[in-house]
Amino acid sequence: MKYTLSFTLNGCEVDVLVKPNDTLLDVLREKLQVLSPKRGCDTGDCGACTVLLEGEPVRSCLTIAMTVAGKKVRTIEAFTSGEGKLHPLQQAFHEHGATQCGFCTPGMLLSSISLLEKNPKPSREEIVEAISGNLCRCGTYLEAVEAIEAVANGEGKE
Amino acid sequence: MKEMKYVAPRGVDEALDYLAEYGEKATVLAGGTDVVPKVNYYELLPDVIVYVGGIGTDYITEGDGQLVIGAGATWSSLMRDPLVKARARVLAEAASQGGCVATRNAGTIGGNIVNASPAADLSVALLALDAGVIVRNSKAERTVALKDFFTGPGATVLQPDELVIEVRVPFVKGNAVFLKLGRRKAMTLSVVNTAVRIYSEGGTCEEARIAVGAMGPRPIRCAEAEKVIVGQAIDLGLIDKCADTAITETSPIDDQRASAWYRKKAGRNLIRRALVQAAGIAG
Repeated sequence: MKYTLSFTLNGCEVDVLVKPNDTLLDVLREKLQVLSPKRGCDTGDCGACTVLLEGEPVRSCLTIAMTVAGKKVRTIEAFTSGEGKLHPLQQAFHEHGATQCGFCTPGMLLSSISLLEKNPKPSREEIVEAISGNLCRCGTYLEAVEAIEAVANGEGKE
Repeated sequence: MKEMKYVAPRGVDEALDYLAEYGEKATVLAGGTDVVPKVNYYELLPDVIVYVGGIGTDYITEGDGQLVIGAGATWSSLMRDPLVKARARVLAEAASQGGCVATRNAGTIGGNIVNASPAADLSVALLALDAGVIVRNSKAERTVALKDFFTGPGATVLQPDELVIEVRVPFVKGNAVFLKLGRRKAMTLSVVNTAVRIYSEGGTCEEARIAVGAMGPRPIRCAEAEKVIVGQAIDLGLIDKCADTAITETSPIDDQRASAWYRKKAGRNLIRRALVQAAGIAG
């Protein structure tokens, strides 16, 4: 059976036909062509599929799509202007070399955006904790932590 | 290809009606952290998904000398909630050590209990707190002590038409400690975990709870070890004896995370460390 799922994606109302076992990740990538959430493990271990659901980071691969009916979902696309202007955290990740292959980057960014939204001046431990669910096979953890610290300290802001 | 259904009841009674109707065909979905990986890898092909995230069981309150936690309360809410911190800090501590931010935002206390993993962090903490589980079907409600809830790995006393509604944690006495050993710090299942609670007066142990996880088919209380320490003056020698006894009550297995041999060695020291901390003596 297919159901019509309505939710808010990056500020836009969307309606999409989904199956009960489709995950939010399936729907974003395969039905709506929103490709920033990555399919890494499909078990919730890697964090590459992280999205913000009502402002909180969740695994889109562990979220049955139908459960976001009527809710607000944001991917990293919500934070770029579309005119090539980067979010301060994206800019900082770029400047600190926190992106190598880039696969973990959308998830890593959303985890850190969510952190700074709630806690603009996090300690180093709080930063590490916030991104501890995002695996980076390139090993850019140190650079990511430094990039987030830089933004929290007001660098990279206009 | 079979037709799969999805229903999202808006209240407990409606959810129970669906369970009465679909019985074993129903797969109850809460936070999804345990159910959805199985769906993604086709280990589980549900006939009907009953999503209980919208039935209003995400409350945390207190009354009648106990903390009352709705089954839908997430790990994130447990670690932040002032009532949990004040009344059952060990549960908040266990919640803060599980998974990562994103999985704690989704996973629920009811899900952790019903999934019945032998390594379940919240269940181990709840065992040390004498927690009870409120189980309901469309006709009746019953209370099951958590220690009697698990029957094996992934197996519980829950019937197909029943839902775990609530967890009740009495305001117990003493000092409780949760410790977990994993392969790494974040996003890891426990190789062994333990929750210990000691209530002592004038250096004599009046009440003790020693719970361990990942040391057998289900999370357990080490009743013999508890007997070793209750009524005695607590010192390091007694704690050593107690930890040694606790390990004799366990039956760990070899798996991809650790060998049974390692679990016994590490588990013994983890229990010892928890006892030392809970007793508040220098170890």
